[in-house]
Amino acid sequence: MIYDEPKFLPGGDRFIEMELGNELNFDLNFLVHSLSAKIREAEITGLIELLPNMASIVISYDPDLISFSDLKREVLGHYHNMGSLEGMELLSPIYYIPVLYCDPVTRGCWEDYCAKIGEKEYDCDVLVRLNNLDGYEQLARIHSGTEYWVAALGFYPGLASLIALDPRCRLTAPKYNPPRTWTAKGTIGYGGSVTCVYPANTPGGYQMIGHTPVPVCDMDQRLPAFSQDLALLRPGDRVRFFPIGQEEYDYVERRVTAGDYVHNVAHYAKFSIRAYHEWLETLDMKERF
Amino acid sequence: MALSVEVIKAGLETSVQDFPGRYGFWEQGFPPSGPFDMWSFRLANVLVGNGPEAAGLECQFMGPTLRFSEDCVVAFTGAEMNPTLDGEAFPMWESVAVTAGQVLACGFARVGARAYLAISGGIDVPTVLGARATFHMAGVGGMEGHALKDGQSLNVGAGAGAGAGVPGRRVKQDCRPAISDNKEWQIEVVQGPNDDWIADDGIERFLTSEWKLQARSNRTGYRLEGPDWIFADKASAKGPEHGEHPSNILDHGYPVGSINLCGQTPIILVNDAPSAGGFINPFTVPSAAFWKLAQSKPNDIYRFRRVSVDEAQELRRSIDRLCAVESIA
Repeated sequence: MIYDEPKFLPGGDRFIEMELGNELNFDLNFLVHSLSAKIREAEITGLIELLPNMASIVISYDPDLISFSDLKREVLGHYHNMGSLEGMELLSPIYYIPVLYCDPVTRGCWEDYCAKIGEKEYDCDVLVRLNNLDGYEQLARIHSGTEYWVAALGFYPGLASLIALDPRCRLTAPKYNPPRTWTAKGTIGYGGSVTCVYPANTPGGYQMIGHTPVPVCDMDQRLPAFSQDLALLRPGDRVRFFPIGQEEYDYVERRVTAGDYVHNVAHYAKFSIRAYHEWLETLDMKERF
Repeated sequence: MALSVEVIKAGLETSVQDFPGRYGFWEQGFPPSGPFDMWSFRLANVLVGNGPEAAGLECQFMGPTLRFSEDCVVAFTGAEMNPTLDGEAFPMWESVAVTAGQVLACGFARVGARAYLAISGGIDVPTVLGARATFHMAGVGGMEGHALKDGQSLNVGAGAGAGAGVPGRRVKQDCRPAISDNKEWQIEVVQGPNDDWIADDGIERFLTSEWKLQARSNRTGYRLEGPDWIFADKASAKGPEHGEHPSNILDHGYPVGSINLCGQTPIILVNDAPSAGGFINPFTVPSAAFWKLAQSKPNDIYRFRRVSVDEAQELRRSIDRLCAVESIA
């Protein structure tokens, strides 16, 4: 549920966890990011950073500049002035990420797992079987058939939890047990009902359904998209995956290696929760892409 | 010839850090990093006349061996690592003139765990996302993203402030953190944010028990060993999105210093910790107690003392006041 009145929970001398509700719910997450945007606009003296997540925001502050109670009062003021959820709009850029589905890189990672840790069904087969798909082509079609919402980042720098906005494209997948000791950077993962792009070579537990040559995190800041940031995405952004073949994959990879790859991003895109709700009403949930 | 510092031996995991660390990118998963014991670090900068933002070295458990290319003034604070300059004992908590070619060598930390070295002018590595602090897990900041390596050379900046390069300045005894080889520590905690997931007798048990610092602890997290936790009913009566174990909660942000309960194992999340995850944080260690964490060693014993948010903020102010020239004799 979304609480009638948010909770302000102390986290030591310089943090507040503001809990707006207690469930996994798109409207609630949208509210979290809309409020975060409002708080940022307000430039409250003494507020340092916001850490928005599924249903809460951790706020860091300088107690020499603002007290817990004053900060709570200011944030609550913005919360109450937000108006109804239906009226909210948020600037939400869309990032386009090319994906080679059922690719050789992640297949190699799965084969390595089978050889070293234990036999396991191929990840794309797991997704096809559990979601009653007719094959790899439909897996690619469904995974790339929706925009994804960046609900939060965390666990690892630059790793975003992405949620399908089109409910007809929501897949489910179990996690690796035991987890993998390595996952290639650029792997497209699926775990529970969340998809992600691995920002670096890290351990991992999500099923691997494809690979992108496009980095979502770049510690060396080589590409133009990383001139101000090390990570591409921020909470409240959107991602659109599009399927590519091996040749286009190789081309993009060459551009990334050369350091002149330009990320496709629609910075003008706004997200209206009313328009989204109205669209949801029109959907035939039995339709399959 | 610009001053540089040659790393003859890097030590166990010596890294470039700056105060207060990296801010503004936490929501993308980049933690603040920065010196673990900021009190000792800041005083080292004060001693050599640097501004508070100047980068220095954090030496962990076993310090480095360094050669200085030019005359300079340096100061060592924090843990006692038996530092020597060309074989002669090097005084701690004091600004010392070093001449070109001299070698500063450290051993194992005898008292405390982390020592801080400031050089007048500050260490000059590129700023990454606004800070020079090293976040080595992701290879961000510091010296090429990681801890120092043998044979590297560190540049030193020219950005020293007033009083730069004055040797013989000392930090007054009562202005230093009380680092001792006593293996027991009293650590302040503020209750929350998720204390309502723990039963009242569980809160009581946490506050009255001894907690042993495990060896698998580092700048990411401090793992503690102690009695089992007792959960409130809320921890079991929750929606499936919160996860199965009583310590699971819907993914949320983690305050730096929060005591993150993974199953039955509490982990204090410190400077390089993950920013978010799916476990509860029943207590938080305030910033004023971080120096104690930084200076303790595996198998040390912690007892926690509950303080209010106001008290924690007052403790922080009292340390801030000491990180100033008034503490120098």
